[in-house]
Amino acid sequence: MEALALRCAPVLSPAKMTDDVALAASGDVSAFERVYQAHLPRVHSLVRRMTGGRDADEVTQDVFVRVWQKLGSFRGDAAFSTWLHRLAVNVVIERFRAETTRRRRLREGDDIFNSIAAPVRSRALSMDFETALATLPEGAREVFVLHDVEGYKHHEIASLLEISAGTSKAQLHRARMMLRRQLGHGRSGYDD
Amino acid sequence: MTTDAFTDRLSEYLDDELSAEERREVSNHLAVCESCRGTLEELRQVVSRAAALTDSAPMRDLWSGVVARIAPSRQWRERVSPFRRAISSRLSFTLPQLAAAGLTLMVLSGGLVWMARSGNPNADFQAVSAEPDPDLTTIPANFADRHFDEAIADLQRALDAERTKLDPETVRVLEQNLAAIDVAIEQSRRALQADPSNVYLNTHLAAERQRKLVLLRRVTALAMTGS
Repeated sequence: MEALALRCAPVLSPAKMTDDVALAASGDVSAFERVYQAHLPRVHSLVRRMTGGRDADEVTQDVFVRVWQKLGSFRGDAAFSTWLHRLAVNVVIERFRAETTRRRRLREGDDIFNSIAAPVRSRALSMDFETALATLPEGAREVFVLHDVEGYKHHEIASLLEISAGTSKAQLHRARMMLRRQLGHGRSGYDD
Repeated sequence: MTTDAFTDRLSEYLDDELSAEERREVSNHLAVCESCRGTLEELRQVVSRAAALTDSAPMRDLWSGVVARIAPSRQWRERVSPFRRAISSRLSFTLPQLAAAGLTLMVLSGGLVWMARSGNPNADFQAVSAEPDPDLTTIPANFADRHFDEAIADLQRALDAERTKLDPETVRVLEQNLAAIDVAIEQSRRALQADPSNVYLNTHLAAERQRKLVLLRRVTALAMTGS
């Protein structure tokens, strides 16, 4: 999780950010706006990648409303960016859980993964990585983003998504193999 | 182990998550299988590109939607609670203040829109250039913001249900204020139809809509908590 904090690049200095977080926790909306502005790109990018772009703006707003509501419980024993990041991931996952089909996809292993309708793919030999990411099946995309983009470990992903570590590893490999093909490399048995 | 079986282990090999024995088996296979070596290198590139992704902000403003949901929830309650303790269950505003605010709002809104449209040289603010700024991308106002209209309709319904808990005189002044805001919104909308990219007018319209939302939320909250 330390890597997560390092990847966050707030516009404000750490001391100023700490001050603003404290002010925001006491109800200062202006300070909260500065916190929001500093972390918006990071949070929105995380949400956009995990959701494949679907409702990313709305979910990002949900994240910051939740941050405002929960700021009082932030005790400063972890980096604020780490705390915020975990909260954002939880908001996205809760959103997914509202969709009943998702549980089946994640719990029933590769057989069910293979039965999911393949996403629309570009026929271009090489495509933008973000675009390719958005075309992954939901379960594979979530695991890939959490592991390869955000730096979570398989046991953490398993806990967050309520799946086994083995399923997390299988999904990660599936996502990588699909991306490899999407990006113009060889043919994969995972996406046919 | 087949080549496919080795391929399935390549991500774990890459992430160093195999046991020592498994890792040795895969290494031995890689030494003799060019196809798997190629796949491993491609997977390494995928991982590398994922780690190098950069973050970007959304294309549209999201803060106004956030603040509309958070500001009344905490700040207003804190500001209002001492006031509420001092009054009876029959709620009442300070009428001269509300009336003055309504009048001021009406004059200011109309005047500012007029100044923005006419480009009055005596105006004490920087007029927005009529020439499009090539470096500035302006998103035209959304005249039919479904979320805003739904929020207003919900609040209006809630207020109607609780209206009897408010002092009649308070209701009268409240409606005057809402009418003044509606006039300002309508003026801004009309002006924007002629000049959709005018930054000031877009900002003014957003501010008036926000003002209406906040006023309705505050009064509805007061009426509901006053029971």
